[in-house]
Amino acid sequence: MSLKEKLAAGEFVLLAELEPPKGVHVAPMLDHARRLKERVEAFLVPEMHQAVMRMSALGAAFLLRQEGMEPVMQVCCRDRNRLALQGDLLAAFACGIENLLVVSGEDPSLGDHHRARAVYDLSALELLEAIGGLERGRDLAGVDLEGAPRFFTGATTQAGSPGRSAELEAEDIAQRMRAGARFFLTPPIFDPELLEPVVRRLDQGRQALVPTVLLLKSLGMARYIERNVPHIRIPPETIERLQRAPDKVRECVQIAVEGIRALRSRGYPAVAVATLGWEDKLPEIVEAL
Amino acid sequence: MIVAERKPIEEILPWLEGARSVLVLGCNECVTVCEAGGKKEVGMLASALRLLFAKEGREVNVGERTLERQCDPEYLDELRDTIDAYDAVVSLACGVGIQFTAERYPSKPVYPGVNTCFMGAALERGVWAERCQGCGQCLLALTGAVCPVARCAKRLLNGPCGGSSAGKCELGPEVDCAWQLIIDRLKALGRMEDYERLIPVKDWSKDRAGGPRKVVREDVRS
Repeated sequence: MSLKEKLAAGEFVLLAELEPPKGVHVAPMLDHARRLKERVEAFLVPEMHQAVMRMSALGAAFLLRQEGMEPVMQVCCRDRNRLALQGDLLAAFACGIENLLVVSGEDPSLGDHHRARAVYDLSALELLEAIGGLERGRDLAGVDLEGAPRFFTGATTQAGSPGRSAELEAEDIAQRMRAGARFFLTPPIFDPELLEPVVRRLDQGRQALVPTVLLLKSLGMARYIERNVPHIRIPPETIERLQRAPDKVRECVQIAVEGIRALRSRGYPAVAVATLGWEDKLPEIVEAL
Repeated sequence: MIVAERKPIEEILPWLEGARSVLVLGCNECVTVCEAGGKKEVGMLASALRLLFAKEGREVNVGERTLERQCDPEYLDELRDTIDAYDAVVSLACGVGIQFTAERYPSKPVYPGVNTCFMGAALERGVWAERCQGCGQCLLALTGAVCPVARCAKRLLNGPCGGSSAGKCELGPEVDCAWQLIIDRLKALGRMEDYERLIPVKDWSKDRAGGPRKVVREDVRS
């Protein structure tokens, strides 16, 4: 069953984020994927997350597909204009990649190539509409395609971020849904209550939301996020719990496991786990579920 | 100068629906020189609006004013006593002046009467051409004072592309190849060795890659 079919059937779906390598050694990424294959429904492949140059999501998603796994390929507005985006989308579909996650992408100034010129020819919303056009057999110039792709497309939402208006987030989701997005990935969620104001405003409730669970790596990381990352909120209890824990790494894994369980029990159709390079901890997390 | 073009009146008119009093606001700087938003253009747009409002049977007071600069709070403050008499402002300044006017008078709707195009110069009366993109890191010392960022379609920094032919750009015969101009200029200056020198990959963080820019001069700050 594909990711789309599993979600349609109401099965709980676990997505795992797998960063493509910075280089050409793909074996570690594929080893992680193989170890998780039976326990994870699909792999989320970021496109140069935080504007750090790595192997493209298209390449990594294709490699996963070749191994019989189901990737969700990020498509990012930052690095490609409308020609390149559409061309890569056609290539992706021809390579068997059918799940997409449309993102704006972080500004190059935040990454490791801060002198790069950003593109942003299309916004995420316009890209969703362009994907819809390709599916209807037309490109953005209105020219007919020789064969149209068919994608299962998601987008991101800032639902659950402190300081964001729940009304605007719900409106944004509705707008992106009209443009063809079928699921919405949230920022890392440490307190599921924060999603409720948006959930209450959505016609389909929590059914279109895919909350992200971020694996913390240390007490320092948790404190740093709490102080410096405005769109992620870590409750003080979580930080205190890490302070008290004798084995911090084990506690971080346990917090992630409990986070996934809590979101599953609230009825979210899927959860995405992000480990930011600690993919080797993923088997431990999924086995504990 | 900042070069702008007048917007068609049909584009402006719907924004003024329901307004009983409109101020057409010009600027005495760049837009006056490029004949898009100076006192003369303010008068022309105001007259055209009066005619159209009369045709629609609407009684609308159309005021005219041209400030020395709209990008300077000192001159914008001159409007403080009169602006409340108007329901809306159509600014013929560049995008900077339009925004600065709106920032100065937050409760007043301010609409653009021009399209701001580029930083350029007059080639002849009625013809303006782009010369600078404000990339934040000037390369003109290396290129014989011809800018490849503003004048090469591909912003190439190290010589022409394969589309350059007989000194013209692949975009068409009316577009000069910037690198042909650079080579001609370096030859005339006897500095062709500069052509052989490689310009490093450009730092676009000085351009817009780092987000909206600001220049801060601590030595002149009040």
